[in-house]
Amino acid sequence: MTEMVLQRFLAVGSIIFAIGLLGFLTRRNLIVLFLCTELMFQGAAINFIAFGRFHENLHGQAFVIFLLVIAAAEASLALGLVVLLFRRRNTLDADAWKELKG
Amino acid sequence: MSVCATTIALPLAAGVVPPLVVLVLCALAGIGTALWLPGPRERSLRRIGGVIVCVALLILAALVVRQAGVATAGDAYFWVFSAIAVFAALRVITHDRPVYSALYFVLTVVASAGLFVLMWAEFMAAALILIYAGAILVTYVFVIMLAQQAGSTGQTTDAIQSVARASCPCPDGITGQTTDAIQPDYDRNSRSPATACAVGFGLMAILLFVIFDRMGPLLSAKGGKTGATVSELATYLFSEQTVTFELAGVVLTLAVVGSIVIARRRLPPAAVLPERASAGTTPQGPDDNPHSIPVYGTENPTAKAYPER
Repeated sequence: MTEMVLQRFLAVGSIIFAIGLLGFLTRRNLIVLFLCTELMFQGAAINFIAFGRFHENLHGQAFVIFLLVIAAAEASLALGLVVLLFRRRNTLDADAWKELKG
Repeated sequence: MSVCATTIALPLAAGVVPPLVVLVLCALAGIGTALWLPGPRERSLRRIGGVIVCVALLILAALVVRQAGVATAGDAYFWVFSAIAVFAALRVITHDRPVYSALYFVLTVVASAGLFVLMWAEFMAAALILIYAGAILVTYVFVIMLAQQAGSTGQTTDAIQSVARASCPCPDGITGQTTDAIQPDYDRNSRSPATACAVGFGLMAILLFVIFDRMGPLLSAKGGKTGATVSELATYLFSEQTVTFELAGVVLTLAVVGSIVIARRRLPPAAVLPERASAGTTPQGPDDNPHSIPVYGTENPTAKAYPER
Protein backbone atom coordinates (compact mmCIF):
# COMPACT_ATOMS: atom_id res chain seq x y z
CA MET A 1 0.00 0.00 0.00
CA THR A 2 1.29 3.36 -0.85
CA GLU A 3 2.55 5.73 1.73
CA MET A 4 -0.25 8.12 2.40
CA VAL A 5 1.19 11.38 3.43
CA LEU A 6 -1.22 13.60 5.24
CA GLN A 7 0.35 16.92 4.49
CA ARG A 8 0.22 16.49 0.75
CA PHE A 9 -3.52 15.89 0.74
CA LEU A 10 -4.10 18.79 3.09
CA ALA A 11 -2.00 20.99 0.84
CA VAL A 12 -4.06 20.05 -2.21
CA GLY A 13 -7.29 20.70 -0.34
CA SER A 14 -6.05 24.05 0.94
CA ILE A 15 -4.88 25.10 -2.50
CA ILE A 16 -8.23 24.29 -4.05
CA PHE A 17 -10.02 26.11 -1.23
CA ALA A 18 -7.91 29.22 -1.64
CA ILE A 19 -8.39 29.15 -5.42
CA GLY A 20 -12.15 28.96 -4.90
CA LEU A 21 -12.03 31.88 -2.49
CA LEU A 22 -10.01 33.87 -4.97
CA GLY A 23 -12.48 33.22 -7.75
CA PHE A 24 -15.39 34.13 -5.51
CA LEU A 25 -13.88 37.52 -4.79
CA THR A 26 -12.96 38.18 -8.38
CA ARG A 27 -15.58 37.10 -10.83
CA ARG A 28 -18.75 39.02 -11.56
CA ASN A 29 -20.85 36.38 -13.22
CA LEU A 30 -23.40 35.07 -10.72
CA ILE A 31 -23.09 31.47 -11.83
CA VAL A 32 -19.30 31.48 -11.69
CA LEU A 33 -19.60 32.92 -8.18
CA PHE A 34 -21.55 29.87 -7.08
CA LEU A 35 -19.17 27.58 -8.93
CA CYS A 36 -16.33 29.02 -6.83
CA THR A 37 -18.40 28.35 -3.72
CA GLU A 38 -18.60 24.74 -4.82
CA LEU A 39 -14.82 24.77 -5.31
CA MET A 40 -14.44 25.76 -1.67
CA PHE A 41 -16.69 22.88 -0.71
CA GLN A 42 -14.46 20.59 -2.74
CA GLY A 43 -11.28 21.70 -0.97
CA ALA A 44 -12.88 21.19 2.41
CA ALA A 45 -14.12 17.74 1.37
CA ILE A 46 -10.60 16.65 0.44
CA ASN A 47 -9.36 17.79 3.84
CA PHE A 48 -12.15 15.94 5.63
CA ILE A 49 -11.44 12.67 3.86
CA ALA A 50 -7.70 13.07 4.47
CA PHE A 51 -8.15 13.50 8.18
CA GLY A 52 -10.65 10.66 8.30
CA ARG A 53 -8.15 8.40 6.63
CA PHE A 54 -5.42 9.55 8.95
CA HIS A 55 -7.38 8.88 12.11
CA GLU A 56 -8.75 5.66 10.61
CA ASN A 57 -12.38 6.31 11.35
CA LEU A 58 -15.36 7.17 9.24
CA HIS A 59 -16.10 10.60 10.60
CA GLY A 60 -14.60 12.33 7.63
CA GLN A 61 -16.54 10.33 5.09
CA ALA A 62 -19.83 10.79 6.93
CA PHE A 63 -19.28 14.51 7.09
CA VAL A 64 -18.55 14.63 3.39
CA ILE A 65 -21.90 12.94 2.78
CA PHE A 66 -23.56 15.77 4.67
CA LEU A 67 -21.41 18.27 2.84
CA LEU A 68 -22.75 16.89 -0.43
CA VAL A 69 -26.28 17.28 0.92
CA ILE A 70 -25.67 20.89 1.84
CA ALA A 71 -23.97 21.58 -1.48
CA ALA A 72 -26.88 20.12 -3.40
CA ALA A 73 -29.43 22.10 -1.40
CA GLU A 74 -27.44 25.29 -1.81
CA ALA A 75 -26.95 24.72 -5.52
CA SER A 76 -30.65 24.20 -6.17
CA LEU A 77 -31.74 27.25 -4.20
CA ALA A 78 -28.94 29.43 -5.52
CA LEU A 79 -29.63 28.52 -9.13
CA GLY A 80 -33.33 29.17 -8.64
CA LEU A 81 -32.49 32.59 -7.32
CA VAL A 82 -30.07 33.23 -10.16
CA VAL A 83 -32.73 32.38 -12.73
CA LEU A 84 -35.20 34.65 -10.96
CA LEU A 85 -32.72 37.50 -10.78
CA PHE A 86 -31.86 37.04 -14.41
CA ARG A 87 -35.51 37.37 -15.34
CA ARG A 88 -35.78 40.65 -13.50
CA ARG A 89 -32.81 42.45 -14.94
CA ASN A 90 -31.89 40.28 -17.90
CA THR A 91 -28.28 40.17 -16.84
CA LEU A 92 -26.08 37.85 -14.84
CA ASP A 93 -23.97 40.66 -13.50
CA ALA A 94 -23.55 40.62 -9.76
CA ASP A 95 -23.16 44.38 -9.79
CA ALA A 96 -26.68 44.83 -11.16
CA TRP A 97 -27.94 44.38 -7.62
CA LYS A 98 -25.58 46.89 -6.15
CA GLU A 99 -28.32 48.89 -4.50
CA LEU A 100 -28.74 46.07 -2.05
CA LYS A 101 -25.42 47.09 -0.56
CA GLY A 102 -25.77 48.59 2.84
CA MET B 1 -0.61 -7.29 4.29
CA SER B 2 0.14 -5.21 7.27
CA VAL B 3 2.31 -2.21 6.95
CA CYS B 4 3.67 -0.98 10.22
CA ALA B 5 3.18 2.59 11.26
CA THR B 6 5.68 4.73 9.44
CA THR B 7 6.45 8.20 10.50
CA ILE B 8 9.34 9.71 8.73
CA ALA B 9 11.31 11.65 11.28
CA LEU B 10 12.67 14.70 9.57
CA PRO B 11 14.61 17.35 11.39
CA LEU B 12 12.11 19.83 12.70
CA ALA B 13 14.34 22.77 12.09
CA ALA B 14 14.03 22.70 8.34
CA GLY B 15 10.43 21.65 8.03
CA VAL B 16 9.31 20.07 4.84
CA VAL B 17 9.27 23.28 2.85
CA PRO B 18 10.89 26.35 4.35
CA PRO B 19 8.40 29.13 5.09
CA LEU B 20 10.24 31.70 3.04
CA VAL B 21 10.03 29.47 0.00
CA VAL B 22 6.30 29.00 0.61
CA LEU B 23 5.81 32.75 0.75
CA VAL B 24 7.86 33.36 -2.38
CA LEU B 25 6.02 30.64 -4.30
CA CYS B 26 2.65 31.96 -3.22
CA ALA B 27 3.62 35.49 -4.19
CA LEU B 28 4.80 34.24 -7.57
CA ALA B 29 1.60 32.26 -8.10
CA GLY B 30 -0.43 35.27 -6.99
CA ILE B 31 1.19 37.48 -9.60
CA GLY B 32 0.68 34.82 -12.22
CA THR B 33 -3.00 34.38 -11.35
CA ALA B 34 -3.59 38.12 -11.29
CA LEU B 35 -2.29 38.18 -14.86
CA TRP B 36 -4.32 35.12 -15.81
CA LEU B 37 -7.72 36.35 -14.62
CA PRO B 38 -10.09 37.81 -17.21
CA GLY B 39 -9.18 41.37 -17.91
CA PRO B 40 -8.28 43.92 -20.53
CA ARG B 41 -4.96 42.29 -21.22
CA GLU B 42 -3.66 40.61 -24.31
CA ARG B 43 -3.92 36.87 -24.61
CA SER B 44 -0.15 36.43 -24.58
CA LEU B 45 0.16 38.25 -21.28
CA ARG B 46 -2.55 36.09 -19.78
CA ARG B 47 -0.81 32.96 -21.01
CA ILE B 48 2.42 34.16 -19.42
CA GLY B 49 0.49 34.46 -16.16
CA GLY B 50 -0.67 30.89 -16.53
CA VAL B 51 2.87 29.71 -17.18
CA ILE B 52 4.11 31.52 -14.07
CA VAL B 53 1.48 29.78 -11.93
CA CYS B 54 2.36 26.36 -13.36
CA VAL B 55 6.05 26.97 -12.69
CA ALA B 56 5.32 27.90 -9.07
CA LEU B 57 3.26 24.74 -8.60
CA LEU B 58 5.99 22.61 -10.14
CA ILE B 59 8.60 24.07 -7.82
CA LEU B 60 6.41 23.35 -4.81
CA ALA B 61 5.83 19.79 -5.99
CA ALA B 62 9.54 19.25 -6.57
CA LEU B 63 10.36 20.48 -3.06
CA VAL B 64 7.82 18.17 -1.47
CA VAL B 65 9.02 15.21 -3.49
CA ARG B 66 12.62 15.90 -2.60
CA GLN B 67 11.85 15.87 1.10
CA ALA B 68 9.93 12.63 0.96
CA GLY B 69 12.76 10.49 -0.31
CA VAL B 70 12.06 7.57 -2.54
CA ALA B 71 8.72 7.85 -4.21
CA THR B 72 6.68 4.69 -4.30
CA ALA B 73 4.59 3.58 -7.21
CA GLY B 74 1.34 4.79 -5.75
CA ASP B 75 2.60 8.31 -5.44
CA ALA B 76 2.37 8.88 -9.16
CA TYR B 77 -1.41 8.69 -8.96
CA PHE B 78 -1.44 11.32 -6.26
CA TRP B 79 0.66 13.73 -8.30
CA VAL B 80 -1.35 13.19 -11.45
CA PHE B 81 -4.70 13.63 -9.74
CA SER B 82 -3.66 16.64 -7.71
CA ALA B 83 -2.03 18.32 -10.71
CA ILE B 84 -5.22 17.84 -12.74
CA ALA B 85 -7.36 19.07 -9.83
CA VAL B 86 -5.33 22.21 -9.18
CA PHE B 87 -4.97 23.09 -12.84
CA ALA B 88 -8.67 22.60 -13.47
CA ALA B 89 -9.52 24.71 -10.42
CA LEU B 90 -7.32 27.48 -11.77
CA ARG B 91 -9.05 27.25 -15.14
CA VAL B 92 -12.44 27.48 -13.44
CA ILE B 93 -11.66 30.90 -12.11
CA THR B 94 -9.64 32.21 -15.01
CA HIS B 95 -11.66 31.14 -18.00
CA ASP B 96 -13.76 33.72 -19.79
CA ARG B 97 -16.86 31.71 -20.44
CA PRO B 98 -19.04 30.24 -17.69
CA VAL B 99 -19.75 27.02 -19.60
CA TYR B 100 -16.06 26.21 -19.69
CA SER B 101 -15.79 27.07 -16.01
CA ALA B 102 -18.50 24.52 -15.27
CA LEU B 103 -16.80 21.89 -17.41
CA TYR B 104 -13.43 22.50 -15.80
CA PHE B 105 -15.16 22.13 -12.48
CA VAL B 106 -16.40 18.73 -13.57
CA LEU B 107 -12.75 17.89 -14.23
CA THR B 108 -11.83 19.10 -10.74
CA VAL B 109 -14.52 16.92 -9.21
CA VAL B 110 -13.38 13.85 -11.13
CA ALA B 111 -9.74 14.44 -10.14
CA SER B 112 -10.64 14.83 -6.49
CA ALA B 113 -12.72 11.67 -6.74
CA GLY B 114 -9.49 10.00 -7.79
CA LEU B 115 -7.83 11.47 -4.69
CA PHE B 116 -10.66 10.04 -2.60
CA VAL B 117 -9.99 6.59 -4.04
CA LEU B 118 -6.35 6.96 -3.00
CA MET B 119 -7.55 7.71 0.51
CA TRP B 120 -9.65 4.54 0.61
CA ALA B 121 -12.97 6.32 0.31
CA GLU B 122 -14.31 4.61 -2.78
CA PHE B 123 -17.95 5.09 -1.91
CA MET B 124 -17.37 8.81 -1.47
CA ALA B 125 -15.59 8.95 -4.79
CA ALA B 126 -18.53 7.33 -6.55
CA ALA B 127 -21.01 9.50 -4.65
CA LEU B 128 -19.03 12.59 -5.58
CA ILE B 129 -19.10 11.77 -9.27
CA LEU B 130 -22.75 10.80 -9.22
CA ILE B 131 -24.05 13.68 -7.15
CA TYR B 132 -21.64 16.49 -7.81
CA ALA B 133 -20.55 15.96 -11.38
CA GLY B 134 -23.66 14.14 -12.44
CA ALA B 135 -26.42 16.19 -10.90
CA ILE B 136 -25.25 19.49 -9.50
CA LEU B 137 -22.95 20.51 -12.32
CA VAL B 138 -25.40 19.38 -14.97
CA THR B 139 -27.90 21.69 -13.29
CA TYR B 140 -25.34 24.46 -13.46
CA VAL B 141 -24.85 23.90 -17.17
CA PHE B 142 -28.62 23.92 -17.66
CA VAL B 143 -28.92 27.25 -15.88
CA ILE B 144 -26.05 28.70 -17.88
CA MET B 145 -27.86 27.71 -21.04
CA LEU B 146 -31.10 29.17 -19.73
CA ALA B 147 -29.57 32.45 -18.70
CA GLN B 148 -27.75 33.25 -21.88
CA GLN B 149 -27.36 36.78 -23.01
CA ALA B 150 -29.05 38.01 -26.13
CA GLY B 151 -26.92 39.03 -29.09
CA SER B 152 -26.96 42.81 -28.84
CA THR B 153 -26.22 43.84 -25.33
CA GLY B 154 -26.04 47.56 -25.81
CA GLN B 155 -24.46 50.43 -27.59
CA THR B 156 -20.95 49.77 -26.41
CA THR B 157 -18.23 49.26 -28.94
CA ASP B 158 -17.41 45.88 -27.50
CA ALA B 159 -20.88 44.60 -28.26
CA ILE B 160 -20.81 46.02 -31.75
CA GLN B 161 -17.43 44.54 -32.44
CA SER B 162 -18.43 41.17 -31.08
CA VAL B 163 -21.60 41.14 -33.15
CA ALA B 164 -19.58 42.06 -36.23
CA ARG B 165 -17.07 39.39 -35.44
CA ALA B 166 -19.78 36.83 -35.02
CA SER B 167 -21.40 37.66 -38.31
CA CYS B 168 -18.31 37.44 -40.48
CA PRO B 169 -16.90 34.02 -41.36
CA CYS B 170 -14.08 33.62 -38.88
CA PRO B 171 -11.55 30.84 -39.16
CA ASP B 172 -11.36 30.02 -35.47
CA GLY B 173 -14.90 28.87 -35.27
CA ILE B 174 -16.68 31.65 -33.47
CA THR B 175 -19.60 31.37 -35.82
CA GLY B 176 -21.61 28.24 -35.45
CA GLN B 177 -21.75 28.51 -31.70
CA THR B 178 -24.66 29.67 -29.67
CA THR B 179 -25.13 33.14 -28.29
CA ASP B 180 -22.73 32.23 -25.53
CA ALA B 181 -19.98 33.09 -27.97
CA ILE B 182 -20.66 36.76 -27.48
CA GLN B 183 -19.27 37.31 -24.05
CA PRO B 184 -21.14 39.88 -21.99
CA ASP B 185 -18.98 42.87 -21.30
CA TYR B 186 -19.50 42.91 -17.56
CA ASP B 187 -17.48 39.75 -17.03
CA ARG B 188 -14.60 40.80 -19.26
CA ASN B 189 -12.74 42.36 -16.38
CA SER B 190 -12.42 40.68 -13.05
CA ARG B 191 -12.99 42.74 -9.94
CA SER B 192 -9.74 44.04 -8.45
CA PRO B 193 -7.63 40.99 -9.34
CA ALA B 194 -4.56 42.22 -7.49
CA THR B 195 -6.32 42.58 -4.14
CA ALA B 196 -8.20 39.33 -4.54
CA CYS B 197 -5.03 37.45 -5.48
CA ALA B 198 -3.23 38.97 -2.52
CA VAL B 199 -5.98 37.86 -0.17
CA GLY B 200 -6.41 34.41 -1.69
CA PHE B 201 -2.75 33.60 -1.96
CA GLY B 202 -2.05 35.12 1.44
CA LEU B 203 -4.53 32.65 2.89
CA MET B 204 -2.94 29.87 0.87
CA ALA B 205 0.51 30.86 2.09
CA ILE B 206 -0.63 30.75 5.70
CA LEU B 207 -2.31 27.38 5.26
CA LEU B 208 0.67 25.86 3.46
CA PHE B 209 3.02 27.30 6.04
CA VAL B 210 1.04 25.68 8.83
CA ILE B 211 0.84 22.40 6.96
CA PHE B 212 4.45 22.14 5.90
CA ASP B 213 6.29 23.93 8.60
CA ARG B 214 4.31 23.62 11.78
CA MET B 215 2.87 20.16 11.50
CA GLY B 216 6.12 18.48 12.28
CA PRO B 217 7.47 15.60 10.28
CA LEU B 218 5.57 14.04 7.42
CA LEU B 219 2.71 12.06 8.85
CA SER B 220 1.62 8.82 7.36
CA ALA B 221 -1.41 6.78 8.26
CA LYS B 222 -1.06 3.29 9.60
CA GLY B 223 -1.92 0.84 6.90
CA GLY B 224 -3.10 -2.04 9.08
CA LYS B 225 -6.74 -2.35 8.11
CA THR B 226 -7.83 -3.02 4.60
CA GLY B 227 -10.08 -0.02 4.66
CA ALA B 228 -13.68 0.57 5.52
CA THR B 229 -16.34 -0.86 3.29
CA VAL B 230 -19.66 0.60 2.34
CA SER B 231 -21.45 -1.52 4.94
CA GLU B 232 -19.27 -0.11 7.69
CA LEU B 233 -19.98 3.39 6.49
CA ALA B 234 -23.70 2.68 6.41
CA THR B 235 -23.60 1.16 9.88
CA TYR B 236 -21.73 4.16 11.20
CA LEU B 237 -24.08 6.58 9.50
CA PHE B 238 -27.25 4.98 10.78
CA SER B 239 -26.08 4.13 14.26
CA GLU B 240 -23.96 7.07 15.34
CA GLN B 241 -25.08 9.85 13.06
CA THR B 242 -28.81 9.18 13.09
CA VAL B 243 -29.91 12.67 14.05
CA THR B 244 -27.60 14.27 11.51
CA PHE B 245 -28.92 11.94 8.87
CA GLU B 246 -32.49 12.90 9.62
CA LEU B 247 -31.55 16.56 9.60
CA ALA B 248 -29.96 16.11 6.21
CA GLY B 249 -33.24 14.75 4.93
CA VAL B 250 -35.04 17.74 6.36
CA VAL B 251 -32.58 20.07 4.66
CA LEU B 252 -33.18 18.37 1.33
CA THR B 253 -36.93 18.68 1.76
CA LEU B 254 -36.52 22.35 2.54
CA ALA B 255 -34.43 22.80 -0.57
CA VAL B 256 -37.03 21.09 -2.74
CA VAL B 257 -39.88 23.19 -1.37
CA GLY B 258 -37.82 26.34 -1.58
CA SER B 259 -36.77 25.89 -5.16
CA ILE B 260 -40.33 25.16 -6.26
CA VAL B 261 -41.50 28.37 -4.64
CA ILE B 262 -38.61 30.37 -6.03
CA ALA B 263 -38.94 29.13 -9.58
CA ARG B 264 -42.58 29.94 -10.18
CA ARG B 265 -43.32 31.19 -13.64
CA ARG B 266 -46.23 33.56 -13.42
CA LEU B 267 -45.99 37.07 -12.15
CA PRO B 268 -48.68 38.42 -9.85
CA PRO B 269 -52.06 38.83 -11.55
CA ALA B 270 -53.10 42.01 -13.34
CA ALA B 271 -55.00 43.31 -10.35
CA VAL B 272 -51.75 43.84 -8.49
CA LEU B 273 -49.91 45.68 -11.24
CA PRO B 274 -51.86 48.83 -12.09
CA GLU B 275 -50.13 49.55 -15.38
CA ARG B 276 -50.98 46.18 -16.76
CA ALA B 277 -54.63 46.62 -15.82
CA SER B 278 -54.77 50.04 -17.44
CA ALA B 279 -53.13 48.76 -20.59
CA GLY B 280 -56.28 46.87 -21.31
CA THR B 281 -54.89 43.38 -21.21
CA THR B 282 -57.33 40.72 -20.22
CA PRO B 283 -56.62 39.40 -16.78
CA GLN B 284 -55.48 35.85 -16.77
CA GLY B 285 -57.90 33.51 -15.14
CA PRO B 286 -56.96 30.75 -12.79
CA ASP B 287 -55.30 27.89 -14.59
CA ASP B 288 -54.28 24.44 -13.61
CA ASN B 289 -50.62 25.24 -13.89
CA PRO B 290 -49.05 24.50 -10.52
CA HIS B 291 -46.38 27.06 -11.26
CA SER B 292 -48.85 29.93 -11.23
CA ILE B 293 -49.10 30.09 -7.50
CA PRO B 294 -49.94 33.65 -6.53
CA VAL B 295 -47.62 35.01 -3.92
CA TYR B 296 -49.01 37.88 -1.97
CA GLY B 297 -47.07 40.85 -0.88
CA THR B 298 -44.79 40.96 -3.89
CA GLU B 299 -45.82 44.20 -5.45
CA ASN B 300 -43.04 45.08 -7.76
CA PRO B 301 -44.03 47.98 -9.97
CA THR B 302 -40.91 47.71 -12.08
CA ALA B 303 -41.45 44.08 -13.00
CA LYS B 304 -41.94 43.68 -16.69
CA ALA B 305 -44.08 41.05 -18.30
CA TYR B 306 -41.83 38.73 -20.21
CA PRO B 307 -43.25 36.64 -22.99
CA GLU B 308 -43.64 32.94 -22.82
CA ARG B 309 -40.49 31.37 -24.15
